[in-house]
Amino acid sequence: VVEPLLQRTVDGLLDGSAYALVGLGLTLTFGTLRRLNLAYGAGAMLAAYVGAWLYQRHGAPAWAVAATVVVAAAAIGLYVERLCFARGREAWADGPQRAALPAAGHDGREVVALASTFAVWMQLEQLSVNLLPRHLNPFPSLAAAGEWQLGPAYLRTDRLALALLAVVLTAALVAWLRMSRGGIAWRAAADRPAAAALAGIPVARVQMMAFTFACALSGLAAFAVLAVDGQVTPMFGMWVLMKGLVAAMLGGLGSVAGVLAGGWLLGLAEAHAQALFGALGREFATYALLFAVLVLRRPTGGT
Amino acid sequence: MPLVQAIGVATDIAVMSLLALSAYLLLLVGRISFGQQAFFGIGAYVSGIASAVAQWPLAAALAAGAAVGAFASALVAWPTMRLPGLHYAVATLAFGEMARTALQAWHWQVERDGVAVGPAGSEGFRDIRWLLENNVSPVAFLALALVVLAAVFALMQRAERMRIGVALRAVGHDDTLAAAAGLPVARLRLLAATVAGALAALGGGLYAHRATYVEPALFDPMLGVHAVGYALIGGLGTALGPILGVVFDLGLLEATRVFAGWRMVVFGGLVALFLRFRPRGLLDEALMHRLRLTWPPRTPRRSAAEATG
Repeated sequence: VVEPLLQRTVDGLLDGSAYALVGLGLTLTFGTLRRLNLAYGAGAMLAAYVGAWLYQRHGAPAWAVAATVVVAAAAIGLYVERLCFARGREAWADGPQRAALPAAGHDGREVVALASTFAVWMQLEQLSVNLLPRHLNPFPSLAAAGEWQLGPAYLRTDRLALALLAVVLTAALVAWLRMSRGGIAWRAAADRPAAAALAGIPVARVQMMAFTFACALSGLAAFAVLAVDGQVTPMFGMWVLMKGLVAAMLGGLGSVAGVLAGGWLLGLAEAHAQALFGALGREFATYALLFAVLVLRRPTGGT
Repeated sequence: MPLVQAIGVATDIAVMSLLALSAYLLLLVGRISFGQQAFFGIGAYVSGIASAVAQWPLAAALAAGAAVGAFASALVAWPTMRLPGLHYAVATLAFGEMARTALQAWHWQVERDGVAVGPAGSEGFRDIRWLLENNVSPVAFLALALVVLAAVFALMQRAERMRIGVALRAVGHDDTLAAAAGLPVARLRLLAATVAGALAALGGGLYAHRATYVEPALFDPMLGVHAVGYALIGGLGTALGPILGVVFDLGLLEATRVFAGWRMVVFGGLVALFLRFRPRGLLDEALMHRLRLTWPPRTPRRSAAEATG
């Protein structure tokens, strides 16, 4: 009885690391702009599709595909930022008054950005499908067959590498945000944009770069996850957004270290829900967990 | 365009308008819901069961769907409406997906005339044949859908002139100010969500009977996002706005097939551009106000005076 339970726990932790990896960029965006980018998953998917297209049609090697996916994700991020986030941001110069666009009341600009990124999501998803219309598209595979035995449980080395990547990236980001000059400017621009601007930080540029960087990170995460699977489907965008969002929400949206804990929690909950209630139960558990966290926890910051 | 197809498009427009109006109602009180498709789905399933399994007449089945939709929506809104806008939007998205997966798992079939009818999990819910069994022609059904839509529209227009409409708009414009003015903000939002749930479910019930077949995959977030998009493109100044948005997308982009394969690219881009340059849509409050000054309504503005006084 204990052994399958242990194996599920290990699998859940490994899955959870992948969730944390894709949630990292999402939580970074929210941490800097206080706004959520719902086109996040679709952008990562379109970038992955560009990579898959290069791999399929032109036989590009894995490293070239990886570079393409990261660059494409950054470029798509820039497009999303210009279209959906650039306008509302000027309002910080108005001081602490209400948003210039009273589109949805108190937190108007946040909700407007939410809706327009959702619209861009549709765009990017359709563009991906137009690029590669088939449901299953091959992706350069870096999957390794090796397995390590850890007591009674088995660990696949490629997935372990993915988990390590998540931990290392998160730790590096936390350290960079805490200690480097750039990280301090980044946090200042996020916390008090008006004060940061007075201190001479080019707030708009820092936010744009932060957004683009977070999207490039999503490209890296997408490549790492897809390289283990060896294929990409049109469901990938939704997967990235949902898993990333739940991981980020569980860890406290905007907290970089929290996303790792959130991802693991989600992975564990899913692994055990699957064993108890099957595949549908796993899917249901994801959304139920997200719903419960939103309702039960007082949101910190953000609005 | 052949006549049969035109009737189909017109019926789609009427059905989707109900869903768009439900998204519009929530936008009025300052909340974006990405979960209205869940109540559309609930309405489709409940009214389908009422007519196909329990053999109720169509009107009763639609009413039952709307009632359950309203109840479910109130139940969801009760804990979520107090959340900030962003968290509310994500919570409704999560609920929509919970409802969809729950419908996928739901098997409840009854033997009728030797055929099993009822929801069959992911395979969907077949044989909602009330229209066929009662010889309702597509034109008659279109007339029914249009009558329902017109009634809903007239009620909403009426409500907008009354105190309740002014109060809802005040909540959407600035909830702190509205609360300071003594408006019960939470209760008004709950009311808006309840009515929105009923409208979405009513649309779902009509949809299910026309299509005779529904499956959980139909009620994915894209449906709810479209509803929000219609309201945001058409405008939040009047209930005519969301309907205009639907006519634009279904009547122009989809039906003409000029943008085949690129419809989402065009539609999504338009919504984003609108939000950037005209965040309250084409028919926004300012434009509607100017229109009303140009063509004053015939009824005296007693209610407006009442609301301010």
